Amino acid sequence: MRTSELIFPSLQCVQRALHDAEITGGYTSDLLSDVMAHLKEGDVLITIQAHKNTIAVASLTGAPAVIFCHGRTATPDVLDAAAKENIAVFISSVSQYETTCALAAALKM
Amino acid sequence: MNARIDFHIHSCLSPCASLEMSPRTIVALSKAAGIDCIALTDHGCTENLPAFHQACTEVGMACLYGLEASSAEEVHVLCLFDDLNRAMDFGRMIYSHLPDQPNDPKLFGNQPVVTVDENVTRFVRKLLNTGTDISFFDLVPLALEAGALCIPSHIDREMCGAISHLGFLPDLPYDAVEVVREIDPEIARRWPVVRFSDSHHPDQIARRFTEIETEAFTVPALRESFQRLLLK
Repeated sequence: MRTSELIFPSLQCVQRALHDAEITGGYTSDLLSDVMAHLKEGDVLITIQAHKNTIAVASLTGAPAVIFCHGRTATPDVLDAAAKENIAVFISSVSQYETTCALAAALKM
Repeated sequence: MNARIDFHIHSCLSPCASLEMSPRTIVALSKAAGIDCIALTDHGCTENLPAFHQACTEVGMACLYGLEASSAEEVHVLCLFDDLNRAMDFGRMIYSHLPDQPNDPKLFGNQPVVTVDENVTRFVRKLLNTGTDISFFDLVPLALEAGALCIPSHIDREMCGAISHLGFLPDLPYDAVEVVREIDPEIARRWPVVRFSDSHHPDQIARRFTEIETEAFTVPALRESFQRLLLK
């Protein structure tokens, strides 16, 4: 599934990536060192850490998209960074757990 | 003596800090802003402290030698020494506890080690703003036993703040706690509250500082002067 095709009820795409990338899984964590150690390229990062460092870590690890959960918003500096790094930005109105379940269902895992 | 102190400043070595944050620039701007004693506290590494020491000595700026260590829970803690060698030893230990994650200069900057004349001698290999494998509950006593002032950074900030990452501020013998916004009176009654700039760019120098009354800029004297900041 490509990032442009990712959709489920609680999800809102805030900013698309310039170049559409393939999603192969997901990784849910709020500790960025943990993300760096374990997220595999192609995993969507699911987190409530909605700041610029998250985008840098997503880029470093090859995440094609980030989902900020539980109503967290993406500020302009986050969106600028994401645009530069070609990472799609989504927000989810539900918890990390429910977002993870929804992503897994969408990817039919 | 009354003194204005800023014990949370980053040099060009720290990820996401400006290349303009050389030791000389930090010292000059702090002096111009009326700060009496400063500390350099780069993320996870003390390699710019020798140049910082020289820059402070050149102009007679009082200073402490420190770093901002990140616990396994990604809580940031300021560890401040009045002895350069002890600070360097502690910094090497903290660096060895960082994961073997190489820096990406495009994302985080080059992490340059510089001389006091602003020549780059090398770039630090491991990414410095990651968490070590040392739990916060171990890091605090480790810093105190090594002879440092131990001050959890920006405890009221969501990113890398103790309250956000741990749920509450654990009952440990910090010398002070650093806040960014309002002081919680419950906290201010138990630990001295300080405010520092957390400068990563020249225009952030001295944006926050703390005024204290101290006998000297040594760890024991400052520890005592922080106690006078406690909310009665």
